[in-house]
Amino acid sequence: MALQEVKEFLRPESSQAAVELLAKYGNRAVILAGGTFLHGLASRGLLPNLDALIDLQQAGLSYVKSEDGALALGAMATFADLRDADQLKGTSRFGAVSDAVRYPPPQIQNMATVGGSVATATSLFDLPVALMALDGTVKALGPAGFRAIGLDNFFLDYFEPALQKEELLVEVLLPKLPPRSASAFLKLETNANDLALLNIGVRITVDESGTCLEARVVVGGGVGKSPVRAVSCESILKGKRCSEKILAECAQAVLADVHPVSDHRASAQYRAAVAKVFVRRALLQALGRLGLTVS
Amino acid sequence: MSEMKIVGKRVLRSDAYDKVTGGRGYPVNVRLPGMLHAKLLRSPYPHARVLHIDTSKAEKLAGVKAVLTPAEVPQIKFHPVFFSPSLAASMIRDMLILSDTVRFAGQPVAAVAAVQPEAAEEALKLIHVEYERLPAVFDPDQAVQSGAPRIHEHAESNVAMHPSFSFGDLERGFEEADYVFENTYQTQRVHTCYLEPRVCVVESDSQGNLTVWSSTQHIFGLREKLAFALGLPISTVKVVKPPYIGGGFGGKLDMGYIEPICALLSRKTGRPVRIEQTRYEDFITTARNPIKIHLKTGVKKDGTFTARYAKSILDTGAHATHGAVVLMVHGFYGFLLRYRCPNQKWEGYTVYTNNMIGGGFRGYGAPQAAFAVESQIDEICEELELDPIELRLKNAHSEGQPHPFDPSFNLSTYRFEECLKKGAEAIGWADRPSANSMGGTRKRGIGLACQPLWVSGCIGFPDIYEHSGAIIKLNVDGTADLSVATVDMGCGQNTVLAQIAAEELGVPLEAVRITYADTETVPFDAPSHASRVTYSAGLAVQAAAGAAKKRVFDIAGRLLNTSVEKLEITNGRVHIEGSAEKGVSLGDVVKQAESPYVVMVPDGTQRTRLSEKGTIMGMASLAPTSNPSPATAEFVEVEVDTETGEVKVLRVVFAHDIGRVINPPGAEGQVEGGTQQGVGYALMENLVFDQTSGACLTGDFLDYKIPTALEMPPEIKCIFIESNEPTGPFGAKSLAEPCLIVPAPAIANAVYNAVGVRVRDLPITPEKILAGLGKL
Amino acid sequence: MKQRINLTINEELQEVFVEPHQTLLHVLREELGLIGTKKGCDTGGCGCCTVLLDDRAVYACMVFALSAQGKKIITIEGLRENGKLDPVQEAFIEAGAVQCGYCTCGMIMAAKAFLLHNPAPSDQEIRAGIAGNLCRCTGYHKIVEAVRAASRPG
Repeated sequence: MALQEVKEFLRPESSQAAVELLAKYGNRAVILAGGTFLHGLASRGLLPNLDALIDLQQAGLSYVKSEDGALALGAMATFADLRDADQLKGTSRFGAVSDAVRYPPPQIQNMATVGGSVATATSLFDLPVALMALDGTVKALGPAGFRAIGLDNFFLDYFEPALQKEELLVEVLLPKLPPRSASAFLKLETNANDLALLNIGVRITVDESGTCLEARVVVGGGVGKSPVRAVSCESILKGKRCSEKILAECAQAVLADVHPVSDHRASAQYRAAVAKVFVRRALLQALGRLGLTVS
Repeated sequence: MSEMKIVGKRVLRSDAYDKVTGGRGYPVNVRLPGMLHAKLLRSPYPHARVLHIDTSKAEKLAGVKAVLTPAEVPQIKFHPVFFSPSLAASMIRDMLILSDTVRFAGQPVAAVAAVQPEAAEEALKLIHVEYERLPAVFDPDQAVQSGAPRIHEHAESNVAMHPSFSFGDLERGFEEADYVFENTYQTQRVHTCYLEPRVCVVESDSQGNLTVWSSTQHIFGLREKLAFALGLPISTVKVVKPPYIGGGFGGKLDMGYIEPICALLSRKTGRPVRIEQTRYEDFITTARNPIKIHLKTGVKKDGTFTARYAKSILDTGAHATHGAVVLMVHGFYGFLLRYRCPNQKWEGYTVYTNNMIGGGFRGYGAPQAAFAVESQIDEICEELELDPIELRLKNAHSEGQPHPFDPSFNLSTYRFEECLKKGAEAIGWADRPSANSMGGTRKRGIGLACQPLWVSGCIGFPDIYEHSGAIIKLNVDGTADLSVATVDMGCGQNTVLAQIAAEELGVPLEAVRITYADTETVPFDAPSHASRVTYSAGLAVQAAAGAAKKRVFDIAGRLLNTSVEKLEITNGRVHIEGSAEKGVSLGDVVKQAESPYVVMVPDGTQRTRLSEKGTIMGMASLAPTSNPSPATAEFVEVEVDTETGEVKVLRVVFAHDIGRVINPPGAEGQVEGGTQQGVGYALMENLVFDQTSGACLTGDFLDYKIPTALEMPPEIKCIFIESNEPTGPFGAKSLAEPCLIVPAPAIANAVYNAVGVRVRDLPITPEKILAGLGKL
Repeated sequence: MKQRINLTINEELQEVFVEPHQTLLHVLREELGLIGTKKGCDTGGCGCCTVLLDDRAVYACMVFALSAQGKKIITIEGLRENGKLDPVQEAFIEAGAVQCGYCTCGMIMAAKAFLLHNPAPSDQEIRAGIAGNLCRCTGYHKIVEAVRAASRPG
């Protein structure tokens, strides 16, 4: 499909109006968020035949809002918006998001959006991995109203999100986390304007003594159809104080859940090796944000 | 030589102001009234016969003006390479503009011209092509086996060319060796990544004469190739010199499919026709040939080379194009001439495959060889516990010797030793740790590689053009218009040539302006390639300026009542040597020549001199008298992450024996830019193709990675070792290509020094390093 | 079908007719003759088409023209004021940061945007600021020098 066949460029002024357009056009329309991946998809022949683009810029979704400790990220908030938002700046809790949005070059940071990066549904993007590590939930609006979908269940297949045809991703909600929570994100890339060869988002919550109450380890980039939760790592961490030994065990365990793929950019074995390294490094970074050192 | 006023000074580029405000002079900006836009239909198959093409639907589409198929195209076999004549015996003519045999995925099989590019694109989908698919082969080792698919009738075993050269007694040389080292090295296919796409506009007039605007490195080459492939007299083709092109690096050193196709579509429609390639099309248009090198070196205990045997297998893809010459440069400047070694044999194979065609790329066969030889030298030194600098010096050529390629020339200025010594000092070679001796997970290492011998153009090379021309015309305001065919592809040729003209004429740099040129108005010049422009075109410009100056002196001598031998020009004033205050402005001298014979003055009429009438011009068209060799040594420091295998280049010191530097910032820019291309070649760049369909998997910058500012070393130090090359303009010889020849082996050697891992196939990916560390 | 839109480009209101799929890059180059903005890849990979959209650097090849309606666009042609070059342009000339020049306009726009938000950057920040722009000639070395020079106060 070539984009030149698109006949209409629609600019709804509310998310409700956007949903109505989705209902009207069915799968003959796609949502235009930041637009940073659309041309790449089109040139690779991955775009379906379309009559219309629905540009969300005027739908009032470019917000970052604190809601009682939780954080609501509007679908059209850009990476730059997240980078500059006071609610995120310098926080250890949302460190993974701040890390992730800084990887791409400025032009992408200025255009790429929360909604676009999540709803495209690919494991190659960075922000979804960071949001998954923070237990993010998608808020979708459909004809029947709002519904919440956990990011863990959101990525069904390559470019197939768990959204109905007429549903719109309007927000990603990051729930309130207990105190002493920190997160971090790491990406393996060949140059500074790359899709991840491998990326990883972690979050850890500890008690006063530094014992891990809860952890999330999420791996993306060349690991199949969606980012993967490494629950084996998470269960190793839970209830323990992080030591080098625990981290090493945890790094080893990542491959129980994550099964990297081979492609022309890297082999599965290499991605697996880096996944192990990155688990440790990302956890160290998150722990560092809590002022914890590991020995 | 008196002190120079412009040559050697840090001057600002004459085109910089225009380029920072928009830069209009690129061929991509050419638009003509009534112009059509064309697109190429490209084969999805790597090897196939075209049985039938049905264009009827496409022709009916609104906006479509013409469709072109192989049946309407002259079936004249040509080679596309600009620097050699079409009929040169050493070149292989195996291409057609449109053929009914497809030999690589993406080869054009038809074309459409339409009022809008979108309509042309749409029409491509309406062309029905019936193909008979043929078995394809992508690996040159397999291509030469019996039973492999035959790609060209004329090439048995798919070998396009198999040169072999030897001297001395190889067998005895290996017998005399204390040690013999034998390794195989493999380099990959990479793209020049010029940022302006290949683009052209061709206009055909009512008599069928063609005018061509193209993003090209050589206007005369394009004229000759186009005329040959179309079967036209050369005088019917005019190529306009682009004021700028958006990079070339050798990637625009041959005629593409687009120029002859636009020409034919323009003749068919009577309207100008434009094609602009997409980035995907550019990625499958030109590339550095991958070469597999088997290298065997015999060496004495003290590091003296006794024998060298090398065999190179070059994957030339579907057509020979540059593959014939790349291989020869690779053999001679890569192995046979590189260092002194009395017993040598080199043989090469240019092998056809169903891969994309190759092209020129800065260094032209030498980077592949340098990677092999300079890596192996490091391996020898490691094994024999010799210092890599000492070993190289022990086997180096020296100043004053006859040139090893053509003994009728002389290594009159040759400062290789100084390159090594000054570079070593700057990088801190003396404190270099032994291999893999650092603790921690991030380890640093220092490496070195050299290109001890290189060219300043192509004098002496069979079948390759090497002469230049220039016309200088003086204006009554004391300025000069300089016309040359040389295309400035970004390296600053325009500035350097203007400096040379200004220095010779004795005028300020701003007084020299590079003007319009096309193939009808200026003398021939060989292409902008082979590190040749400053040296070769510079000589022609200097000679043209000298000729103009001679006429200036003839007139000024009379005006100042002195003999011409005593005259000189300083800052635009012609004066007697040593008394700059007395004299006459250059503009006033030109006015004598340009004024009416009889002029009106307040007192009446006055006659000027008939013998002095006529525009003051200088012209030259000449070949240089030598091919002086520059020499280079590059030192790099890297840091290797031993957990992920990632390599960061921290520091580069590049020492270059260059003759006289004409414009220092321009020369530094060559080194710095070469470093970017070299870091990419060493660490990440790789054109990858699906091994079944032949489709390019790295057809945009999302997949084909080159270094951004963040992957580049923060420190690049240039050391220019200057001398006064007697055959060069103001003592200059060459720069440019060595800046990309040496980085890959220097980085490979630094990686070894850091972590003890020897990678013999490019690129040195993090994955290969981890494998070398036993972690995969 | 073509739609009429108004764009504010270099402080001038422009009325253009565009197809839904057409990009801001297309409008600038093909409709308005603002050819300082270059096309290098058309897929957001090279940075040659970088312009300012509401004072932020974007790839014009990725911005649909219709979505730029009502926004402030600055191209290289809009940097010069009263015939005087912008300090970033001056710095590129002085530092010898221009070779083939094809990346130059996009690079300058990226630098301009970046300096608007971070007027006194470190070298590493400069490199990150231009990491979305490829250059094949200069190795970025003199470009970083130029941006550093342009970032000095006064």
